[in-house]
Amino acid sequence: MTDHCPNAFEETQISGHLDGELTQAAEQKVRIHLEDCRHCRALLEELRAMREATMSTEFSKPDDSQWDERPRGGASLLARGVGWIFAVVWAVTLVMYALWQFWQGSANLVERLLVFGGLSAFALLFVSVLLDRISSARTDPYREVEK
Amino acid sequence: MTESQPAPAPVATLPPSEAQTVILAQQGAEDALDTLARSCRQQAYVFALQLIGNPDDALDVAQDAMVRFFRSLDRFDASRPVRPWLLRIVRNLVRDRARRMRVRRTESLEPAEDALSFEPKDPMPDPEARSARRELQTLLWSCLRELPPSYREVLVLRDYQDLAYAEIATTLKIPRGTVMSRLHRARRLLREVVRRRQNDNGEVRND
Repeated sequence: MTDHCPNAFEETQISGHLDGELTQAAEQKVRIHLEDCRHCRALLEELRAMREATMSTEFSKPDDSQWDERPRGGASLLARGVGWIFAVVWAVTLVMYALWQFWQGSANLVERLLVFGGLSAFALLFVSVLLDRISSARTDPYREVEK
Repeated sequence: MTESQPAPAPVATLPPSEAQTVILAQQGAEDALDTLARSCRQQAYVFALQLIGNPDDALDVAQDAMVRFFRSLDRFDASRPVRPWLLRIVRNLVRDRARRMRVRRTESLEPAEDALSFEPKDPMPDPEARSARRELQTLLWSCLRELPPSYREVLVLRDYQDLAYAEIATTLKIPRGTVMSRLHRARRLLREVVRRRQNDNGEVRND
């Protein structure tokens, strides 16, 4: 863009002035500059017209029938959380017990290695997917939007 | 940057009724929960619509936002204003959705024009002025989609949602000075897009 202030005034302050977000001293500085700078006055007026148009824009809203029922809180949420904890503890205990029984059982070394080798392969695949997800989350360009 | 010292945040004090409603809702009062749902869901929808541009997608995002809102209500500090927190939930969901859409490449850049409602609270008496205003509103709404997400967010929060800089800083988790500089760049870019569209449409500018 070539249409910047010819006096190299910090134009960011124009937006601060428009929004009434400057300190008294900064506000005074902007007012003095605006008296002398035709370019910044024109910019201010354009931004003001745009802001007035956006602020007065109304949006269609969905009626009440389009909304899902409010999520229930309290007891049902607590029950669901406790239920999940119980389910995970139960599943982990069951798998550990089954593996222990298998290891202690009559299976020979080859059978044991086949079963544990397969499980190890699945575990490694899971870990690799997890590492990929973590890596992509760290390098995601959209993360910068948050900063 | 010559950013000035932050002015006292005009949102620091919370309307007592809202704080009381939040506390009652945290205690499980159904009336308070319903009141909170009614007041928040339309805000969530409008903000999602302003960021996404599509009413159906905005409704989906707003529904998800309300689920997350109520799931995390117990952890919310009732002494703080609800709005920046709610808008941050919506904004995060919109970002997640944008990330998925970027992979699928299925999103349309054109916003839905029927999303605007031309029944202003304070109608302008002059029909020509009203018509010009509506035309500019539609143009700006359309041009908003061409801004990068970070610019669109800050512009929507200030110029459509009417949030103060301090509230925007809280919502986006960025310094107040960054709000002002990013907002100004967003406004300048929007102005450029508007000018380009006007030139494309054969409208002549006076300056």
